[in-house]
Amino acid sequence: MRNMLGYVPLLRNLEGVEGDNQVPTVTIDGKKVRVKKNATVLDAAKRAGIWIPTLCYHPSVSSEASCRLCMVELDRGEWRQLVTACNYPVRRDIVVYAYSEAAVRARRGVMELLLARAPESEELKALAAKMGIERTSYPTVTESQRSCILCGLCVSVCEQMIGQAAIGFAGRGVQRTVAAPFRLPAEDCIGCGACAAVCPVGTIKIRMHPDSNEIEISPFKSRFKLRLCEQCNSPIVSEKVAANALGKLDANNEELREILRLCPSCRSLRTAGQLAAMPGYDQE
Amino acid sequence: MILPTSAKLTSPADLESLVRRYQQDNSSVAKCVRVCVGTGCAAKGSRKLYELFCEAAEQSDADVTIEAKCVGCHGFCERGPIVVVEPGEVLYQRVEEPDVAEIFRETVLGGRIVERLLYEDPATGKKASEAAEIPFYRVQQRIVLAGNGRIDPTRITEYIADGGYGALAKAISSMTPEEVIDHVEIAGLRGRGGGGFLTARKWRSCREAKGATKYVICNGDEGDPGAFMDRSIMEGNPHSVIEGMLIGAYAIGSKQGYIYVRNEYPLAVEHLKMAISQARDIGLLGEKILGSSFSFDIKINRGGGAFVCGESTALMASLEGRPGEPRAKYVHTVESGFRGKPTNLNNVETWANVPHIINRGGEWFAGTGTEKSKGTKVFSLVGNVVNTGLVEVPMGITLRRIIEEIGGGVPDGKSFKAVQTGGPSGGCIPAEHLDVRVDFDELTKLGSMMGSGGMIVMDEDTCMVRVAHYFTEFLQKESCGKCTPCREGLAQMLHILNRIITGEGEVGDVEELGTLAELLEGTALCALGKTAANPIISTIRYFRDEYDAHILDRHCPAKQCKGLFLYEIDAEACKACGICLKNCPVDAITGEKKVPHVINQDKCTLCGTCWDTCPFSAILKV
Repeated sequence: MRNMLGYVPLLRNLEGVEGDNQVPTVTIDGKKVRVKKNATVLDAAKRAGIWIPTLCYHPSVSSEASCRLCMVELDRGEWRQLVTACNYPVRRDIVVYAYSEAAVRARRGVMELLLARAPESEELKALAAKMGIERTSYPTVTESQRSCILCGLCVSVCEQMIGQAAIGFAGRGVQRTVAAPFRLPAEDCIGCGACAAVCPVGTIKIRMHPDSNEIEISPFKSRFKLRLCEQCNSPIVSEKVAANALGKLDANNEELREILRLCPSCRSLRTAGQLAAMPGYDQE
Repeated sequence: MILPTSAKLTSPADLESLVRRYQQDNSSVAKCVRVCVGTGCAAKGSRKLYELFCEAAEQSDADVTIEAKCVGCHGFCERGPIVVVEPGEVLYQRVEEPDVAEIFRETVLGGRIVERLLYEDPATGKKASEAAEIPFYRVQQRIVLAGNGRIDPTRITEYIADGGYGALAKAISSMTPEEVIDHVEIAGLRGRGGGGFLTARKWRSCREAKGATKYVICNGDEGDPGAFMDRSIMEGNPHSVIEGMLIGAYAIGSKQGYIYVRNEYPLAVEHLKMAISQARDIGLLGEKILGSSFSFDIKINRGGGAFVCGESTALMASLEGRPGEPRAKYVHTVESGFRGKPTNLNNVETWANVPHIINRGGEWFAGTGTEKSKGTKVFSLVGNVVNTGLVEVPMGITLRRIIEEIGGGVPDGKSFKAVQTGGPSGGCIPAEHLDVRVDFDELTKLGSMMGSGGMIVMDEDTCMVRVAHYFTEFLQKESCGKCTPCREGLAQMLHILNRIITGEGEVGDVEELGTLAELLEGTALCALGKTAANPIISTIRYFRDEYDAHILDRHCPAKQCKGLFLYEIDAEACKACGICLKNCPVDAITGEKKVPHVINQDKCTLCGTCWDTCPFSAILKV
């Protein structure tokens, strides 16, 4: 691919045919975007400004594609295939339909099944409404633990981001639940609440117990003492999270250790004070 | 006899001289009694028969060597236990312990035939003294199952004397890996586990995949209800699987293989373990096989019995020690499979075909079968069929010949209704399509599939809605629950089917099932979910009238769904004995001595007690 002057254009890598530096083009509902090789269709859709609903997707963890809500249609030439946008890797130029009749119908079907399972979840209803789905045509035939749709984000985040793997899946098929071993308070839980933060349907909740200064991760029954700010006495994180974080620090870095004994607002006040005390600060 | 195999084989010539030695040793055995100890025969006590024959052989003062040996499944399970006497290949069926002495005295020593233990053709009344004369075997073409029933699976010497590992020697001494793949390609071998993917294409992709470490896996997680093809191969001829894997590993460039076999197959596990250790002992597994630079070894992994673990990615997850759940296959396992390395997985029967292809060439293999389905296929023929058993037939044979000629048709004078092929992912094929040829693509066109080889014959008394219900319930229980459509969708479908078979079906239910089926096919994560609706779709396609009868008329035409048919007393058959009257829990039956009894339909709760207790079959289901 040489131009008239005879040298290879700098763009070569972008259009090359080998290596992982390729930038394939994804045509999604007629819109063309270029993404890095092995980016997902969902990445491409985001870049194209096309919204695709997701539940079990989170950029911080690997995509298990278990909820099947992000179905789109992939053009295979002679035929079209439904694929999950969140983990379909773009390896060459592809044509995708996010809002074709079949894709919309597939997503509606999946959402209706989820609504039947967890009819109480406000978060799920809101997402359904955003998809234009007001109700499900299916009865509730499977039992969910407080609207859990088994997307698995909590399990993934606990294992991959926190490194604790305190919770996992128990049971098979319709009996599948997210649980700590033997459904007892999880030994490996540190009370960080990451699972609650990523839960898309409000199943997992952080409960604060001010009377006993404890944090509870519900429904996993784990309760932990909270570390209080040395300055203002307000709760910061669970003692276990603090111990965990401190354990990962350089033992001699006393300054960092001191910072971790303060709540975020006291910490920023402290930093501001230190900045103000720096020579030349007021000249700025 | 167990021969000492002192030294490791270091060249193909070593193997050849070993073959000659074993063959010479075998030729000194003048008479041999082969007792089937496959699962079916063993369940009927054939192990004891084997012991009795051994005792008889030991105690015999005949001046020739007499040997009794256990062999793998002969396939004719309906007529087990099977005992074959050499020379003459005299096949005795339904042999019991008291028959041993007679067989030994008459046939083994005297060379005379014990007529009463021969198979008798129910149609002609003709006795058959050897397998080739029995219709069950006549139509079959046994390639994969050729060794079953002939060799003792617990002795590598038997396999080697039969020419075993010759294909391996040929491949590594005179063929390049590419040539091996070319042969498999010419053969047109397609995966026998159900998918029917071209084996050579899979091997080539795996060979070409990036990475130095590659794995080959044998999928022995056979889980379809009523299927026992792979089980019989692993039990009856484990070395054929190992040899196939060796050749595949050589072609692909793998040093480590795994056999994933379900723990419910203890005999398969035992025989595979023995086979692997025997192969290792003489250097057919391990470092520098037959003096070449090719090294390969195999580990056995026992599965816990989850149906979904037969799915390749779930199997690999299980092999890695994680829960057996599938993952998306957008990146194929030949690129990134077990432990993220290129992995080639084939089914037991696929592997067992490989040595034959290498031995006799791809063209020879492709000479059997149809345009796109080559070779033979093993089926386990079960259900309402006279000759239950394991059969191997050339591709392209019609279903009718399998069921009528080999299977002997439907028993008890009943008529054929449908045959279910392909296990829970397959479908039901009705009588009007019985002349379809057994071929991956033809069966798919009919809404069923080849599958791994389960073949369940159903007679006129089978309710097709219940068949759909049975498979849906099976799959719902076996679904791992990871993805929404499979977990929730199957539960919804089962809910609808439950209503239909209990007489609570509603207009629109069939359409609803169709919608859910389409959703599952399009959106489920793995093949288990994607194909889960096939039993429902195919029964709706061919037996829609039965669904309608259940829903609209509240009637089960096959009279299997309790509550959806009535009981009546056949006045002519009724002897007025009063048994039904006495047993009826709601006093719905009236009648006096010598007067045919009558059921009061208003009172009857359709419990079926009268039907169960009538000694004269005078109760009718209507």
